[in-house]
Amino acid sequence: MTPLLMKKIAIFIIILFPLVSFSQDDSSISYGFESNSQYYLDDSKTGDFLESNRFRSNSFFKIDYSYKNFYVGLQAESYEPKALLNYSPNLDKTNLGLYYIGYKTKKIELTLGHFYEQFGSGLILRSWEDRQLGINNALRGGRVKFSPKEYLHFTSFYAKQRKGFAHSKGNIVGFNSDLDISSALNFENSSFNAGFSYVGRKQKKAETNFDYNNRTDLFSTRLEFSKDDFYSNLEYVAKGKDAVMIQNQIKNAKKGAALLANFGYAKKGLGINATFRRMENMNIYSDREANGNIYNESVVNYLPALTKQHDYLLTNIYVYQAQPQVSFQDPTLIKSGEIGGQLDVYYKIKKGTFLGGKYGTKVALNYSSWHGLKADYDFAGFDYETEFLGFGQKYFSDVSVEVRKKWSKQWNSIFYYVNQSYNKRYIEETFGEINANIFVSEATYKMGKGKSLRFEAQFLATNDDKKNWAGGTIEFNATSKLAIYVNDIYNYGNDDIEQQIHYYNAGGSYTVGAQRFALNYGRQRGGLICIGGVCRNVPESTGISANITMSF
Amino acid sequence: MKKIIFLSFLLVSTTCFSQKIIPNINLTTLKGKSVSLESQLSKDKITVLAFWATWCVPCINELDAINDVYEDWQEETSVDIIAIATDDSRTQKRIKPMVNGKGWEYQILLDKNQELKRALNITLIPHVIVLKGNEILYRHTGYAPGAEDELYDIIKKHSK
Repeated sequence: MTPLLMKKIAIFIIILFPLVSFSQDDSSISYGFESNSQYYLDDSKTGDFLESNRFRSNSFFKIDYSYKNFYVGLQAESYEPKALLNYSPNLDKTNLGLYYIGYKTKKIELTLGHFYEQFGSGLILRSWEDRQLGINNALRGGRVKFSPKEYLHFTSFYAKQRKGFAHSKGNIVGFNSDLDISSALNFENSSFNAGFSYVGRKQKKAETNFDYNNRTDLFSTRLEFSKDDFYSNLEYVAKGKDAVMIQNQIKNAKKGAALLANFGYAKKGLGINATFRRMENMNIYSDREANGNIYNESVVNYLPALTKQHDYLLTNIYVYQAQPQVSFQDPTLIKSGEIGGQLDVYYKIKKGTFLGGKYGTKVALNYSSWHGLKADYDFAGFDYETEFLGFGQKYFSDVSVEVRKKWSKQWNSIFYYVNQSYNKRYIEETFGEINANIFVSEATYKMGKGKSLRFEAQFLATNDDKKNWAGGTIEFNATSKLAIYVNDIYNYGNDDIEQQIHYYNAGGSYTVGAQRFALNYGRQRGGLICIGGVCRNVPESTGISANITMSF
Repeated sequence: MKKIIFLSFLLVSTTCFSQKIIPNINLTTLKGKSVSLESQLSKDKITVLAFWATWCVPCINELDAINDVYEDWQEETSVDIIAIATDDSRTQKRIKPMVNGKGWEYQILLDKNQELKRALNITLIPHVIVLKGNEILYRHTGYAPGAEDELYDIIKKHSK
């Protein structure tokens, strides 16, 4: 621990201590601790562990305290002796990750220090934390929130963005307003909201002849409407001219844009939702040089893949990642954005019908399809001219059906089918195209008092890439506190016999209230680990891991 | 790591006497209205906050299981369950059709950028919090099939 860090922590404890020791009814405190450790082992099948430090650990301690209208908090983070494999090298040793102090009433909120913020759906701005992905792009600066009326909300801030334990060179300024028009005008039966945001990223322009400014401006306009069982949202983002970075060099200056439209219908027993999105050159980083970094650092906005987030191991091998960026790899591999959509249908077959049975049957369908933008590309000049609603090269599609059925008080089952088409060449900028069918079936047997047994069988069939996979899971909840599991996925169809590998895992967890301890041993499949539509590449590894989470 | 543990114990030991009140944070209704959490809680009544997400299978299993017995629970203890969706904008649009498609009877609130989840230092979902008024009585992480019975025992104990 550095002296400076000690000093920072000491100051916070000094602030916290008197508050805490006189705490009364109107004070509140909450803290959380999380630690993820791994001991990496050599593996006769996948190779020895060649990095430094076999034992690695990521730990977080966060405390929040509020007294009347004031709040204060901090998060200490420790990556000792080193961060887990493939986390950003900027996450190193122990330090204070976040610290903040604020004042909040019904109408006004002031924050100094770190804060998270999201405007609209995040297309223009979102700061958030995902510890498993190693993302924390919190903003550090000053923020004011003001709600003069119940139906009118304003936010503005000026900040730098967190990058590892340091902060961005670029400054971010943001303004947001949300107006609930239906409440303002006393509409009885419908709901109508409007929003407007501005985000500016200010960073000194590099010495170049390309025409863009120090400050990049982004504007977002939003409308949200719902009446009876129908609802819809519309958002448009315009991004001002900014440097186009290709392999860390400025090759052009272009504008960007995003359009998001959503329509839905929902009543008891039936829900339908359709989303359309088009993005062109929509990446924005707090430092231009961070463009395309593999650790998702310095990301200002949130551009997740709009596809179904599957829950099973074999359904998560070919996962789409949104393609908002401009890329010139070779004359046949040029990208300027993506266009596509997804459709969801949820339906409950009523109790007492032939298909519904005694308890009813729940069905969920999802379809998504994503393409590149149709455009005239000039490879030599790193330039393009897109067509507004033109569909270009197909990147990805996914069709899935889920049927959940309760057979009796003891038995439950889920059937899941997915068809995926994954254009690896365009998505990962390597080569290959994959078409796969995945079948999953799971059953749970409840024995009462928290005791239950769950089985899961999975099968992935494809003639492409690594060919067929099979997998299974058995999970036993001995009590509601203690659970153990084993799972395995086996790439038995791989053409290379050496690569026909079992990725097996076994482990258990013990939970008391909000405290959980888990232990795991196994071999981890290398590739993309995706959470919330954001992905991180992890290497193949074998080892023992321990996770502790506590919330108070 | 050791320092963090040390720091945790130091802070924990100094703070274990303060009362646990739920932070009053603004959430969004399915119609897009911003409401404060406190305004949704009734004094002297038990409310259960169930943190979930459309992509979290154990969360859905838990809420499906409780939904089957929710009527009985309400009759006996008049408990209110608020299902707090922590989905981010990737899956937020799936909440309304899913809730309707499943026929859940709960009140649904959206914690759009996980502000409440973070203020309560929740790292894993499913996570349930049992409240009386705005005072936290019990917290639990994870769901094992059948564990809803234990939750109900706690609700019954406090609702007397």
